[in-house]
Amino acid sequence: MKSGSTAAVLGLLVLATGCQAPTESPAVRIATATATAVRPLPQLGYIDESGQGTPVDGGVLRRRLTGEPTTLNAVLQSSLPEAQVLQYVQRNLFDFDAGLRLAPGLAQSMETSADGLTYTIALRADAVWEDGRPVTAKDAVFTIRKIVDPKVPAQVFKPLFEELVAVEALDERRFQVRFSRPYAFRPMAFVLPVLPAHRYEGQNFLKAKDNRAPLSSGPYRFVSWKAQETIELERNAKYPGPRGHFDRIVFRVVPDNTTAYRMLLDDTLDEDQLDAGLKQKASSDPAFAACCRLVEFYNLDYNYIVLNNRSPLFADARVRRAMTMLLDRASIVRGLYRGSARIISGPWAPDSPAYDATVDPLAFNPEAAARLLDEAGWRAPSPGGAREKDGRRFEFDLLVSAGSEIGRQIDEMLAAELARVGVTARVRTMEWAAFVERIDAGSFEAASLAWSAVDPNPDPYFYWHSSQCAPNGLNDGCYASPEADRRMAEARQELDPGRRVAMLRGLHRLLRDEAPAIFVVNAAQKHAFRRRVRGLVTSPLGLTGIWPGPLSWWAAPEATQ
Amino acid sequence: MIVYVARRLALAVPTLFGIAVIVFLLLHLAPGGPGTGGADAARRVSGKAAEEMRRLYGLDRPLPEQFARWMGRVVRLDLGESFVDHRPVSERIREALPHTLALNGLALLFALGLAIPLGVLAGGSPESGFDRASSAALFALYSLPTFWAALLLQTLFAVQLRWLPLYGTASDAAPAGLAGLADRLAHLALPVTCLTYGTLAFVARLVRSGVAEARSSDYVLAARARGASRARAIWGHAFPNALLPVITLAGLLLPALLSGSVIVERIFAWPGLGRLYFDSILARDYPVILALSLLSAVATLAATLVADVALAAADPRVRDGAVG
Repeated sequence: MKSGSTAAVLGLLVLATGCQAPTESPAVRIATATATAVRPLPQLGYIDESGQGTPVDGGVLRRRLTGEPTTLNAVLQSSLPEAQVLQYVQRNLFDFDAGLRLAPGLAQSMETSADGLTYTIALRADAVWEDGRPVTAKDAVFTIRKIVDPKVPAQVFKPLFEELVAVEALDERRFQVRFSRPYAFRPMAFVLPVLPAHRYEGQNFLKAKDNRAPLSSGPYRFVSWKAQETIELERNAKYPGPRGHFDRIVFRVVPDNTTAYRMLLDDTLDEDQLDAGLKQKASSDPAFAACCRLVEFYNLDYNYIVLNNRSPLFADARVRRAMTMLLDRASIVRGLYRGSARIISGPWAPDSPAYDATVDPLAFNPEAAARLLDEAGWRAPSPGGAREKDGRRFEFDLLVSAGSEIGRQIDEMLAAELARVGVTARVRTMEWAAFVERIDAGSFEAASLAWSAVDPNPDPYFYWHSSQCAPNGLNDGCYASPEADRRMAEARQELDPGRRVAMLRGLHRLLRDEAPAIFVVNAAQKHAFRRRVRGLVTSPLGLTGIWPGPLSWWAAPEATQ
Repeated sequence: MIVYVARRLALAVPTLFGIAVIVFLLLHLAPGGPGTGGADAARRVSGKAAEEMRRLYGLDRPLPEQFARWMGRVVRLDLGESFVDHRPVSERIREALPHTLALNGLALLFALGLAIPLGVLAGGSPESGFDRASSAALFALYSLPTFWAALLLQTLFAVQLRWLPLYGTASDAAPAGLAGLADRLAHLALPVTCLTYGTLAFVARLVRSGVAEARSSDYVLAARARGASRARAIWGHAFPNALLPVITLAGLLLPALLSGSVIVERIFAWPGLGRLYFDSILARDYPVILALSLLSAVATLAATLVADVALAAADPRVRDGAVG
């Protein structure tokens, strides 16, 4: 239905082009008309095609993985490719839906004790493993105990259970988890996979055979894994929930973006995430328009330049604010992102519930920024000269990781603007692992970072509270403000959602003004799909961070074979 | 000859040990560590979890102790377990090795197989039309960047003409028997071309200059004077002498059989050792990096040995200890 109305609009566009250019030669006119007629309109915004058309079962969905999963043990997962495959095979206790609410998965209910410390979770009566055995409380208890086991590198889940006191099964289907402290965002910890305890008995957990051939509790079951090439899944007949529409799912490991783009055009992939360069190419490539469509939407990711608050350069909030005012974010949105990015004013993306849209970003204003630097004591001895204070020149290294091309361009823009007000920033590109080591140790002056959200938890405590300063925590720039500390500690204990959001929004204004980092933009995600793929639902957690997410995709019948 | 080989083998042991020490030290001195994440790591680990990881992998132990443990396993031919997926390193290498061997073996075969006749033909009549044309073409090939050539070849043969597959080692529904072999060869065609042309150009130039130089030497003139045909003088007398530097060079090219090519393997989504090496470096998967470095060191030493023995067989002066 929707595609019909789009076609009608395009028809009008073609007519308009024809009228405007009556003197063109026929050949040129045809070319223009074709290009206009088939160019996909980029859809910037959330789409929900779940109610459109009648889903048809059958066919194969071919998805891209940018790298080889290292494991299919859901507890040991640490990267996106692993999560993308596991989503089909292992259901979580709860999942986020497209509205970022918790929706039941293997579990059917969760009860919280009055003191907020104890959670009682009941599993669905029909939850079952692929081998016919029921999913039991024993499995859930086994999984949580493995997560907190010091011998298990469960990077993703460990932080969620650091305050765990005890976990025990109450009966076959119910189990209880107790924590040492109440925490407002605790229920999100139960977006948690469950492993089949009976398959790991007497096995080394890190090397068990199931880690490369997991037993399914989800709509698809594992079939095969060719190292560095493909992972294949097929429908799991034992799954009690709604069945997946595709008969099989094939994941292809394709590290190179350009190759993946060509595979999409070549009809060997159905889906791909595009980088900025390929998105540009796709939007003017008639071959792309003929086969595929572009889907753009905002998620909760954003990028920022963290300033080391412990450095004498950035200890003063006025200096940090001046840094933000010297970065021309409007130009970045126009030039680097071609419009598909939003300027942010605090440590959340605009679609996070904590984001206060009334807090305006600090405007680009080099004159005012220069005055702030003067006020803070960083003065140039002669007009146009280098700024200094107490005999120290204002110069620093601005670190960026090698993979981040846009991050480097943003840094160069900042450095150019800083040079005009007498501050020297040297942009240093570093290999990722080396870069992360510097950031983790807190030994840097300024660095470009990207925030990648895998859940909608807006809790700023781990990233901006003074108790979490690097190297012990993830407050990389060691921002320390008693006022912000107090508000963060209060918000995470506040169990009433309305009051909690109000508290976080108050904090947002404070963080804008104290500018512990330069908050840059929230950029749109860019995905490409073969046109036959229908039923897409996008969300602030992306296409795959939600349930049913890709499980609701289906292939239009004319192309299904 | 046996003494010569034995002496060379005995020398290889301390060399290998030295290489092992250096690689081990470089690796541990390089910034970053396991858990700081690979190419696709979406998360960063907090201080406490990172500390747990270090202890788990024994990285909190003093360096000499870590080295001794690793060496102790290596001499028993145990390469250890990957930090990333906890599988034996040997298993991961075994998965990738055949793909890289097929790719690089064919590339080397084609490079030498084409370069030698090309070089001899060009060197046999220097400054001829063929020599000039082939020189220009070889220089052009030699200066083509691989990634660019790979993308160009993909565009032409896979996307536009659709003669050859775009990526991978085989089709999804790979047919059996001869058709299956043809399918695999079709998948090999483009990446092999990419890996061939640079070496081909280089070796052909080397052969050409060797033959051209030998052609004007006294022994070739003498052969011609005794009535040997032009072809016989070139192939029978000039070429064997021009071959000597090529043998040495081939010894240096052989280890590439194992090292793989990161760029070509990436572009063609080829599951070989180059990609394994690259991913392991990004993820700081020490056991895999160490094993692959050691493997390539062994290959280099073995290939140089083979080349030296071959040289001795080809050149009586080397064999009798008069030269080298």
